[in-house]
Amino acid sequence: MEKKTLADIFVDGARKGWNIGTSSILPNLVMAYALIQILRVTGLLKLMGDFFGPAMAIFGLPGEAMAVLMSAWLSMAGGMGVAISLYSMNVLNPEHVSILLPAIFLMGAQVQYMGRMLGTAGVQTRFYPVLFAISIINAVVGMLVMRVLV
Amino acid sequence: MAEPQKTEYCVPDKLVVPWYGYVALIFAIIVFSGVMAKQAQWLTVFDFNTINGNFGVMKDAKTIQGQGGTGGRDGFMFALTLIPSVMLALGFVEVIDHLGGLKAGQKLLTPILRPILGLPGITGLALVTSIQSTDAGAGMTKMLKETDCINEKERTIFSAWQFSGGGTITNYFASGAAAFAIITVPIVLPLVVIFVLKCFGSTLMRLYLRYLVKEV
Repeated sequence: MEKKTLADIFVDGARKGWNIGTSSILPNLVMAYALIQILRVTGLLKLMGDFFGPAMAIFGLPGEAMAVLMSAWLSMAGGMGVAISLYSMNVLNPEHVSILLPAIFLMGAQVQYMGRMLGTAGVQTRFYPVLFAISIINAVVGMLVMRVLV
Repeated sequence: MAEPQKTEYCVPDKLVVPWYGYVALIFAIIVFSGVMAKQAQWLTVFDFNTINGNFGVMKDAKTIQGQGGTGGRDGFMFALTLIPSVMLALGFVEVIDHLGGLKAGQKLLTPILRPILGLPGITGLALVTSIQSTDAGAGMTKMLKETDCINEKERTIFSAWQFSGGGTITNYFASGAAAFAIITVPIVLPLVVIFVLKCFGSTLMRLYLRYLVKEV
């Protein structure tokens, strides 16, 4: 095996970061910011805020935070993008982002992972609904825990 | 029970971690905890956000991203500002992994995880792999089942652990990096919450299989 220095190893990791950054994070953020723009221009974001306000108040979050969870379900980077976009619009504050952070990953990218994780591992499809439910329960508990910790 | 067939994926839990593996793990926890951010000047060298530094500012704007941007273009600019953090974080993770830091974590966690998850020790490697790559973890889980290292029930419980918060470390330090400068808690805290809840979720799956499913 060829000998690599720590600097080489670091650069390998940084390169992975560049690849993830350009191939996943960047397109996902463009999508997330565009989505928020669509929701804002159409007034749906405000509507969402009002509609989900009472439910999200349990977690100490404004109703608009629901948009973060919904997009996280499709992709983790997308969920992060929506969160940061709402933060830059002053809809979310730093505490809100902290409360949402674990949830974005706990229920994140489920639509993709159904094939990539459950499908690959060969899990019986009859358990899929329970597995989805458990991830969402994890996210809900995560927000409650973070509400206490922030 | 017959000794399980040994394959690349089905190795008994005899992990050797060099001393510097533990040092690397402790180092990682300190760097990403943010505890050094407010210490004496020289100690801030052990703080992720300090090493990551800051962009220069554009005239009259607070950030290089500019002010008042909206929509896809603003998202693009923001993503660009994020890439150095992701590169730095994954560079660190790679070095820590190379030094055995993640193996040290595996070794320290296995005795705790085994009773919690109810999984045999041979899943340790797949477990630590799955926190870096969802796809690799899923592939190894399939192999573990095909070589009879784990049974159907164990595969389902293990998958519940992997499915929620999959590829934890990589995703958290890549996508999550967007929030590192904003959040009001140490960077490692949400990560700890994610790990604890992954275990909580797989425990729910274990209970579900035990009490609500007749046959797996």
